[in-house]
Amino acid sequence: MRELELYFGPQHLGMVGNFSITLKVEGDRIIKASANPGYLHRGFEKLMEQRTWIQNFPLVCRINVVEPDHMELIYSMGVEKLAGIEVPKKGKYIRSIYCEMARVASHLFGAWAYANMLGFDTVANWAMYHRDLLLDMFEELTGARVYHIYIRPGGVRRDFPDGFTDRLVKTLHKIGGKVPDYNALFFENRLFKERAEGIGVVTREEAIRMGAVGHTIKAIGMEYDIRKIEPYAAYDQVDFNIPTRTGGDAYSRLLAIRDDMIESVHMIFKLIDKMPTNGEVCTKTPNPFKWKVPAGEAYVRCESSRGELGLYMVSNGGDKPYRVHFNTPSYNHGLTVLEKALEGESIADVGNIMISLYVVPPEIDR
Amino acid sequence: MASIIHKGNSKMTDLKQMLLSGFDDININIPEDNRMVVSTKKESVLSILIYLKKFGYNHFALVSCNDWIDDNEFELIYIVSAYQKNDEQYQDIEKSSIIVKTRISREKAKFITIIDIFENAEPYEREIHEMFGINFEGHPRLTPLMLERNYKIPPFRKDFDTNKYVENTFGKIPSIKERKEGNK
Repeated sequence: MRELELYFGPQHLGMVGNFSITLKVEGDRIIKASANPGYLHRGFEKLMEQRTWIQNFPLVCRINVVEPDHMELIYSMGVEKLAGIEVPKKGKYIRSIYCEMARVASHLFGAWAYANMLGFDTVANWAMYHRDLLLDMFEELTGARVYHIYIRPGGVRRDFPDGFTDRLVKTLHKIGGKVPDYNALFFENRLFKERAEGIGVVTREEAIRMGAVGHTIKAIGMEYDIRKIEPYAAYDQVDFNIPTRTGGDAYSRLLAIRDDMIESVHMIFKLIDKMPTNGEVCTKTPNPFKWKVPAGEAYVRCESSRGELGLYMVSNGGDKPYRVHFNTPSYNHGLTVLEKALEGESIADVGNIMISLYVVPPEIDR
Repeated sequence: MASIIHKGNSKMTDLKQMLLSGFDDININIPEDNRMVVSTKKESVLSILIYLKKFGYNHFALVSCNDWIDDNEFELIYIVSAYQKNDEQYQDIEKSSIIVKTRISREKAKFITIIDIFENAEPYEREIHEMFGINFEGHPRLTPLMLERNYKIPPFRKDFDTNKYVENTFGKIPSIKERKEGNK
């Protein structure tokens, strides 16, 4: 059969975000795939070298549109490590609760993307609605719905308002009450299972070789999670499980995402119970206009909802960073793992595999 | 908790001793628990990475580049960490990240690819080639990854002036008013 080259880009319904893949196909089968990022390249890492340490926050949170919160966290962690700032105990708890809220919101967005792409419109609308309920909580806490800029070096911007945790618990119960419906209509639906099972398989050996992180590796049975390995914020204070699956295919990955979301909700309850009632939420930092961070380098990492997120940061002792390099999970998944996982699959499954690998294009482009 | 940190430190010190006895011309610094910075000359980078991979650091995190324009040198940064060996419990090695650094001259900006050791270094090296103009010998596709225009100076170098570039490239596009007047 004749080989053809097919451009699978943002014009395609199965593609979520500004990203394209050039496929070499023979009939319906993909022989070779090559990913082309760059549609969203904004040169943030270069721009950050020209802005002060605090001015960078509006750029940092725009690296990942779906969950800006872990980006704020990792940047703050980098600055704290370079400047030697300690976060107060209550600040750590608030950070953890806030990041778990972000994880649930991000997974709901992921469920929306997946369901929408496969045509499960009811589920997609539910997921978007439930994410919106969480965005309301974010709005109450930070004043913004999408880009919150709530975490800052030294802690968080402000304490929880009165009664916030009660309203958060109520919202989470409302979302959690819908889980059986989600299961019946989507996760355990035969239509979905047959569509997602057995495609885009990444074996354990391949995953380790290609540096996969997050759900790609949790769906193979490895509990690789930075929250456990190198605990930050208040994750060493609570007990939680890391849900894993064994299939390694798109279906296992999505179930790992669902279980992670449920585990996050349970973790928020535990964190709220343990959170100290009074105390500072932020350490005092120098005047941001005159703040010079001591020279040095730092590599920090955290577990975003997509996997291990790293930041390599260099300061030359000035009022601006000398170099920032974000190592985002989608970079690896979208450019290395995706190209391998697509080989031998059919054209109809491209979007399916890409979303199950949890690729977010703005994270790749930065 | 304290005992675990102590154990982690001793393992790092063991690795430091082994690296120091195995390689010449390396400088090892342990700035904090679970981080180790290995500065070396460019010839030893590949062998150190192979050594670390055999030691158990099988998760390659990133390749980064830094332009030290005052020293007229580029610094290449390789960061490796480890996947867990068994699924039941976590070990000290997974907590640690090793930063391997080397410097290359700015005029002859070229280095050797490490794809044979860590496969996922491929897009990182491609990006550094595009953003810093460093040529990685042996890399199978050093084609543009993100950018669409050609740049005289690769854009992430420190001597690339963003404002001047924007002024020269986009500032010269005539406004709608000017274009209308020009047409008359």
